[in-house]
Amino acid sequence: MEYTIGIDVGGTFTDAVLRGPSGPVTSTKCLSTHSDPASGIVTAVLAALRDAGVAPEAVGRVVHATTLATNAVLERRGERVAYVTTRGFRSTIPLGRYARVEEDRYDLRFDPPPPPVAAQDCFEVPERIGPRGEVLLPLDEDAVREVAAEIARRGITSVAVCLLHAYADGAHERRVAEILARELPGASIVTSSQVWPEIREYERATTTIMSAYVGPVLGRYLRALRERLAAIGVRAPVYVMESGGGVMSAELAARRAVATIESGPAAGVLAAAATGRPDVISFDMGGTTAKTCVIRNGRPEITREFHVGGKGSFGGRRAGTGVPIKTPAIDLAEVGAGGGSIAWLDAAGTLRVGPRSAGSEPGPACYGLGGDQPTVTDANLVLGYLAPGALAGGTLRLHPELAEKAIDRHLAGPLGVGRAEAAHAVHEIVTASMASAVHVVTVQRGIDPRGFALVAFGGAGPMHAAGVAARFGIGTVVIPAHCGVASAAGLLSGALSTDRVLTRLGAPDPEAVFARLAEDACRDLGVTPGDPGVTVTRTATVRFTGQSHDLPVAWTPDRDELAARFEAEYERVYGIRQTGPIEIVTYHARVTLPPPEAGEAGEAGAAVPAAGSPAPAPGARRAYFPERGGYTAVPVLSRAHLTAAGAPGPLIIEEAGSTIVVPPGWHAARTPGDAVTIRTAP
Amino acid sequence: MSQDALTAEVLRNALVVAAEEASIVVVRSAYSTFIVEGSDASAALLDASGRLIAQSMATTLMNSMALKVALPELLRDIPLAAMRDGDVYALNDAYRGGVHTNDLLVYRPVFLGGAPRYFTATMIHVADLGGLSAGGMAPLATDIFLEGLQLPPVRLATAAGLEPAVEAILRANSRTPDKVMGDVRALVAGTAVAAARLRTLAGEYGETGLAAGIEDYLDDTEARTRAALAELPRGRYAASYPIDDDGIHPGVTHTVAVEVEVGDGRAVLDFAGTGPQVPAAINSSASQSLAAAVFAVRCFLDPTIPMNDGCLRAIEVRLPSGSLLNAQPPHPCGGRFVPIYAAMEAVFQALSDAMPDRAIAASGILQPFSIAAVGAPYWIHLSYDFGGVGARQGKDGPDATGVHFGVGRNSIPQAEPVESRCPLVVESVETIPDSGGPGRHRGGLGSRTVIRFLAAAHVTTRGDRLRTPPPGRSGGLPGRTGGFRKRHRDGTVERLPAKSNNVRFEAGEAFIIETTGGGGIGDPRTRPLPAVERDLATGAITPEAAATDYGVTVNPDGTLTRCFR
Repeated sequence: MEYTIGIDVGGTFTDAVLRGPSGPVTSTKCLSTHSDPASGIVTAVLAALRDAGVAPEAVGRVVHATTLATNAVLERRGERVAYVTTRGFRSTIPLGRYARVEEDRYDLRFDPPPPPVAAQDCFEVPERIGPRGEVLLPLDEDAVREVAAEIARRGITSVAVCLLHAYADGAHERRVAEILARELPGASIVTSSQVWPEIREYERATTTIMSAYVGPVLGRYLRALRERLAAIGVRAPVYVMESGGGVMSAELAARRAVATIESGPAAGVLAAAATGRPDVISFDMGGTTAKTCVIRNGRPEITREFHVGGKGSFGGRRAGTGVPIKTPAIDLAEVGAGGGSIAWLDAAGTLRVGPRSAGSEPGPACYGLGGDQPTVTDANLVLGYLAPGALAGGTLRLHPELAEKAIDRHLAGPLGVGRAEAAHAVHEIVTASMASAVHVVTVQRGIDPRGFALVAFGGAGPMHAAGVAARFGIGTVVIPAHCGVASAAGLLSGALSTDRVLTRLGAPDPEAVFARLAEDACRDLGVTPGDPGVTVTRTATVRFTGQSHDLPVAWTPDRDELAARFEAEYERVYGIRQTGPIEIVTYHARVTLPPPEAGEAGEAGAAVPAAGSPAPAPGARRAYFPERGGYTAVPVLSRAHLTAAGAPGPLIIEEAGSTIVVPPGWHAARTPGDAVTIRTAP
Repeated sequence: MSQDALTAEVLRNALVVAAEEASIVVVRSAYSTFIVEGSDASAALLDASGRLIAQSMATTLMNSMALKVALPELLRDIPLAAMRDGDVYALNDAYRGGVHTNDLLVYRPVFLGGAPRYFTATMIHVADLGGLSAGGMAPLATDIFLEGLQLPPVRLATAAGLEPAVEAILRANSRTPDKVMGDVRALVAGTAVAAARLRTLAGEYGETGLAAGIEDYLDDTEARTRAALAELPRGRYAASYPIDDDGIHPGVTHTVAVEVEVGDGRAVLDFAGTGPQVPAAINSSASQSLAAAVFAVRCFLDPTIPMNDGCLRAIEVRLPSGSLLNAQPPHPCGGRFVPIYAAMEAVFQALSDAMPDRAIAASGILQPFSIAAVGAPYWIHLSYDFGGVGARQGKDGPDATGVHFGVGRNSIPQAEPVESRCPLVVESVETIPDSGGPGRHRGGLGSRTVIRFLAAAHVTTRGDRLRTPPPGRSGGLPGRTGGFRKRHRDGTVERLPAKSNNVRFEAGEAFIIETTGGGGIGDPRTRPLPAVERDLATGAITPEAAATDYGVTVNPDGTLTRCFR
């Protein structure tokens, strides 16, 4: 009998979901421990195993979503990187390739995005390979040694190598890496031909640089995590979710660190997609950030290029506004606000919420962990939406008096309004910023959100969901089972997968290229192409000779059939029927192996008995609803007490990891899959 | 947000998305090298009275103003009553809203209720439509006939497909007939995509709902523009900016002058005093000058105001007929960026005088060039490099990027795709130390690109601000001028004229493009030492320049000393 554990580490909470052969069995929520994330994980895993009465040795697989790579990038806490490129191209990265779109166009005071590596840490070596792999200038190995000496002198231990046309032949890059490895013992060295060998030097270089920037940090963390888990008896292999919704081994994740950049959010989107509704907007609000994604026909949109730190616009991160990373990623929007966001008054005396967050250390004032700034969570407690007492499976107590004090002192007093009015204003402001994330993925794309259901999860999501939905006239909100730990549950449905690409212009034998890519990808996953359940998806990007942009087309070795597929795709995408000579640009192999419990992947809606914190019995408490003139007695239920016929708002539904607020004018009912569906009352 | 406000906002964004989708289709399916590796295509939605409703997000205002100004001209020749559903029209006439011969404007009437109510429009610089050099640059043209084919408003296609006669004319006038027709098909497809979107919106909102929503959108934009203009200091501000020369008479400068009047929620930009048009390629068509004037003013307003007819209502632009900014037949218009960039700079300087805390020093500008095969079969590489941006009050200018029309460095082709298509090697792309104008706030650096040929090629250049450097402000010094050069096989380097046509390079010779740095702001000797130290570390300045320009010497232990003389 084998168990699987899904672990999602967020800015505030670490969630764990344990699943047995017959479905999820337990979930836990603990405070994240930033200085040492593994310690929070160990606490959560131990709690989950204890609650379920499962021995650590019975765990066969651990799947992990981590924001470590993202945070290292956003907080600029990655490894200092030395960048080595072909002579003449030292300025490529500092100059950048940013776009100026929309309002940026008219900004004379614009600043280009800061480069991912300092100008003075960019080095050059004489060498040149041509677009078809021909050596135009042999590598100057002495120059490489001189560069290595300077890198050593600066004490830099992570090096990214991207030479021109290395997709066509990686020999010079490999030789540079060999020399650097010898001259810089212990340094981490990544080459572009190893990371993402696709034509276009800028994006290939930034992908390589970001790998060098976050790889060592992620690698150290994952090694430490495996040791810590082993120490408590969990010796199962550890997998990490990648941005595109698949999972990969920890070893591979350390080498492909950039593929994990949207690891956590991807897991949440998988959970939303598993509700079974075809058209939904996923709304994942945690302690530090909120993420939204549009899912149409049951499938989230996948992008082929991800822009770290990019500006949101046209419904996504706009190309040219961040650091481009070539990796498949679920297309979602993110805003930096959540339950831990701090409410404050600006110089003009206007109430603002975020972007600063109290996170888990010190946390909101009401946690009693030393925080004294009022947060969204404090406001929700004052408003009666959150219950005083135990939170996060009893690991944490909420102290209303501390929340009241923080709100009085920092907001209500200076503003000269009542405590409840101040708290409600905080609640409304953060609901508005949540709405802006929905706005980005719908309205800004010209998509009318009113035809969609909002699927809300994350610790804070179900408390704000109805308010967000109301802003858009969305009439249906679905709160899936185990909504407080939905991302951790979503991890369990991710298939083992990885991608390999190669640009090879005029390759004489495409089948051989694909065979090698598939072999490499399988080796990455520790499987072989013939293993049962292993799927190899081959895609070629094709273009009309003379054009520059290519389109991905499902591979077939039959050249005429490939041309026909390309022409059909071209017509579908561009509306132009065209024929002409074609050429293959890039080869892409994706290898996937469904998780062992694949048969149950779709039924993430099964109940998670919240063992350890028994479902509270029906009760009532006073909560603040301006529609009812202020504080009013509101029934409090657990999910188990809600029937299919349901109950009208105002109503609060409490469970271990989350609280659902059903405002007046809404009606909540239990729906299949143990979901709570709330609808605007007719 | 009220439900009405939400509905209005969904519609407004959907209009922009319609234009955006059209531009994406064009850019990704076109052949023109100017488009495919760099610049975005432009797309716009207009109504049947010629008002601009929405434009694609990455378009430069140059292109959407052309589409706006040319539509009434199209309707003058081909009235609405003569149009049929499925028709597509095209023109490139510079004197009737167009830009220059290679920029093809394509329009599709969108029929609702049996009549054309709207137009979707697209435009790119197509692969080649004749003229003095392959790719469309004719820097030494003395009249428009040397710049290539002129196309008055014509029906390009019907529901049945392209008009065979027009296709035959386009093919016959192009060095790359297949590519130019690929571009034309991309432009036509772009208009179809946007038209389908617009018809869907008409279905959702109803014809009258759509029209009312658009009307509100334009009115709201006008109100926002007027409110933003009302915040500018009332007054009249004058400035002028020089043009190096016309390419035919080296050393003879020309001037663009402007007086900007701000007040009462409107702006009037009067370019009286601008030099007369010349029989050389430094004139502009009126649509392009209008774009420059509007862009420059918008740089001092709330940047989030949408760009549509509502914005244009609040900004009046007076362009003297027969001047460099409003050329009449047959004066060449292909070099329009030269006078209109001078026009933008003049407006920037006038408004910098009005608002010293938002001042910007003058910048280096883009330096276009084309490289092409010396004969058939033609391969063409058309591109540009950017100069450094002038320092802004309080901050340095960015290096080698576009401040005029807000074009970013993503529009510059990468080396790998260019080398995979053309017989050349990009040897280097670097910033030039000390090229940024010294100042308390330093001007941005220019760049140097070196391209070595593997086969004989023709090089055509179109540069300005290569003799008269962009000046600094408030004690800041000018940027260093760049230039176009030829490196011979023996390594000697020869300077080329700023504007040159079909200079032959042999295999092994190299073409060097050096761009001009931006001007500085404030006395360089007041630049904080940490900023000088950072510039030395990144190589933005040399120790020699630190001493001569900034009065800072580098001590043997690496520390810096400021010496005042």
